[in-house]
Amino acid sequence: MARWIDIMIEVQSLRKTFSHGGRQQVALDDVSLCIEEGGIFGIIGRSGAGKSTLIRCLNLLERPDSGSICLGGQELMTLSESALQARRQRIGMVFQHFNLLRSRTVAANVRFPLELAGTLSAQQMDARVAELLALVGLTAHSGKYPAQLSGGQKQRVGIARALANQPDLLLCDEATSALDPETTDSILALLADINRQLRLTIVLITHDMRVIRQLCDQVAVIDHGKVVEAGPVLDVFLQPQHSVTRSLLAETGLGHGVLPASWRERIAGPLLRLTFVGEPTLEPVLDKVGREAGLRVNLLSGTLSEIKGTPFGQLLVAVMASTVEVARLPEIFAREGVRCEVL
Amino acid sequence: MTDFSWSQLLAMDWVEIGEAGLDTLIMLSVSLVFTVLLGLPLGILLYLSAPGQLRARPRLYASLSLLVNVLRSLPFVILLIVLIPFTLLLVGTSIGVAGAIVPLVVGAVPFYARLVENVLREVDRGVIEASQAMGACLSQIIFKVLLPESLPGLIGAATVTAVALVSYTAMSGVIGGGGLGDLAVRYGYQRFQTEVMVVTVALLLMLVQLLQSAGDALVRRFRFD
Repeated sequence: MARWIDIMIEVQSLRKTFSHGGRQQVALDDVSLCIEEGGIFGIIGRSGAGKSTLIRCLNLLERPDSGSICLGGQELMTLSESALQARRQRIGMVFQHFNLLRSRTVAANVRFPLELAGTLSAQQMDARVAELLALVGLTAHSGKYPAQLSGGQKQRVGIARALANQPDLLLCDEATSALDPETTDSILALLADINRQLRLTIVLITHDMRVIRQLCDQVAVIDHGKVVEAGPVLDVFLQPQHSVTRSLLAETGLGHGVLPASWRERIAGPLLRLTFVGEPTLEPVLDKVGREAGLRVNLLSGTLSEIKGTPFGQLLVAVMASTVEVARLPEIFAREGVRCEVL
Repeated sequence: MTDFSWSQLLAMDWVEIGEAGLDTLIMLSVSLVFTVLLGLPLGILLYLSAPGQLRARPRLYASLSLLVNVLRSLPFVILLIVLIPFTLLLVGTSIGVAGAIVPLVVGAVPFYARLVENVLREVDRGVIEASQAMGACLSQIIFKVLLPESLPGLIGAATVTAVALVSYTAMSGVIGGGGLGDLAVRYGYQRFQTEVMVVTVALLLMLVQLLQSAGDALVRRFRFD
């Protein structure tokens, strides 16, 4: 099913080198990305992989040495300083450490970008601030100072502030990394909500696969300044191609269908990896195929979960007995909408 | 040195002490105002032009920094004398309260500017970056971020400078600047009138205490919580 997708950001051949005391360190090495409009795009990598540099290039907080950054058809690299400032007013950014002005109340922090833009009257600004505070659920705290807020509340202020000038792009720089798991969930839910309600393109960086699973449509994995893998989240989760992706998944307990090497010798029979996406996940497919094909299996590992509302499952099984040839099994499973790989 | 007694206290020339007190207050307040007016921009310039900062100009910073250090390392008594021609040019006289204000300001501006630079450096780098990300231009960053965020620190720095100015005014007697410190030197030390010394020192102490508590109260008033 072909769908017309508008490209929001097109990044081409970005290169950025930092020099530390005469030593050159490559932060971005020929990075190219396409980010579609209205989606949530996640960039994941270990610390030092270059993801932070990459997201900071998207509003030129960091200026790459070479390459091009095209935002909604406009090349950022060649903009004058004032044109860049005007463009930045419509790019929201949320930070790991919130970066709120401690001299301003919650309401005044949200008002800050409106003051910078200077397009609204004082009354219009107040109305917009009230609207934003309601959106992030902080109306009751409008008169407080950042020092009086919890981390999650501070990040809500940060999000309201980032949305003030009705941006067409929201950048999240490790927005939940400084928060506890429960607060992280509520902030991720808020971001998902904003993405849905406002059709706002979100680009986020994280080192946490759970954030990607919960929130993102597309993901790019970055390692040593290079994009090593990119695609729809479901594909990358279920068929990780690169070793970095696999180890990131495994570390967060989200690696599926991988067997410890020492087990392999102790297990007789061919191995199958069955991948369920969507409806078949909730159907008794294995049982059905088992009866039809006289298949008896030994279940070795399995998972059932959800990625952005799509249920998925992955089972690793050893074939104990089968009345049909093992090589024909993928075809039989395919009829039930399940992907089967013989390992 | 004579002994101190209450009768001597009553016999003192209180009118002269009052005038000296007034001179000190005038010198202090006028020079403090000019010190802040000139020192704040200089401090901002130092901050912005330092290597790695928003408008890094390493050579400009090095020259400004050198100038500030030279002025700060000159003993104030020497500065008073060295500046006589400049003072004459600027205010038409090099003596009295008016003549003292110019060297007071010249002595205190580099001091305050350096304090301002340090206070501004304490502003969270992330907050400045966030405002850049929101499209703030340099003047917006200065007036809407740097100065409001560091207001308590700037007030604290002005308090320290005011206290330093009080001790500078004591030396202005060299050029006939008057004031409490001068009175203490002329009567208390040179004429062995211990009671004058005691009273002027007590008054100076009260002034410094008052400045410090006023400064602290302002800092508390503008703290953000």
